[in-house]
Amino acid sequence: MNARLARLCKRGDQEVSLFRLYVMRAVALLGVWGLFPTIQTLAAHAPMDRGVHKALIGGLWVMAIFALRYPLKMVPILLFEMVWKTVWLLAFGLPQWWSGVGSPRLSEDLWSIGVFPVVVALVIPWGYVWRHYVTASGERWR
Amino acid sequence: MASTAASVSTAAASRAGDGVPLWRLYVLRAAYLLLVVGLGAMIVPIVVSHEPTARGVIPSLLCGLWLLSFVGLKLPLRMLPLLMFEFAWKTVWLLAFGLPQWFSGQQPPTFAEDMFNIAFGVILMPLVIPWGYVWRNYVKAPADRWR
Repeated sequence: MNARLARLCKRGDQEVSLFRLYVMRAVALLGVWGLFPTIQTLAAHAPMDRGVHKALIGGLWVMAIFALRYPLKMVPILLFEMVWKTVWLLAFGLPQWWSGVGSPRLSEDLWSIGVFPVVVALVIPWGYVWRHYVTASGERWR
Repeated sequence: MASTAASVSTAAASRAGDGVPLWRLYVLRAAYLLLVVGLGAMIVPIVVSHEPTARGVIPSLLCGLWLLSFVGLKLPLRMLPLLMFEFAWKTVWLLAFGLPQWFSGQQPPTFAEDMFNIAFGVILMPLVIPWGYVWRNYVKAPADRWR
């Protein structure tokens, strides 16, 4: 049992541990499942709906499907999730919360957006990101 | 002179281990640069200065895209999911909102601006994305391990 657990959690000579891959896939699955109600509204929306928000969610949904199969290759999408939600929190969520003057959907958004940078930060394999996106040499220039 | 030009064009067309010619990497970098400059000019002022009650979801999403485009300049292939996402959401918008609203004539006030920016992406992205590479690496390649 302990050996099996160790094999699950140890990275060994792999890029990330199997446990990490399952956590990443779980988040992708959560995305596919959680965003699906928005996907359904794409087929039936108000005629004058601007739709940019829903379309962005639709794009993320497609990417989440790729992430089920290739969690590591789709890391840029997790980074994107963390970055945009952090931007929202710093530029919109927190200032509005502190000032007491905010958008009508502030409390809902604080839960559905503001909490996620922390969740995503726990899911992202930072060692992998460090090796492949920060210290890695740039792709060919010549 | 001619031989130099020939060797330069051979180098540009040669494919490294990733199977993508050098000119394609430049095309990709140009696309990221377009995002850095064009999207940045559009979105950063909105994020920095906005109505106190603005919901801010769309500007934040686009600002996230803008920030990660900088990484795309260094790692154009590794950041491809970002461009795939660009193509996906814009195609979704065009099919579910843009075209139906265009044909029905019932359009929100932001329609003309959105249609221009988004349709531009839907046309540009398929030309920029190396589809052979996407096919090999994101469809045919074996999945990350399951056990």
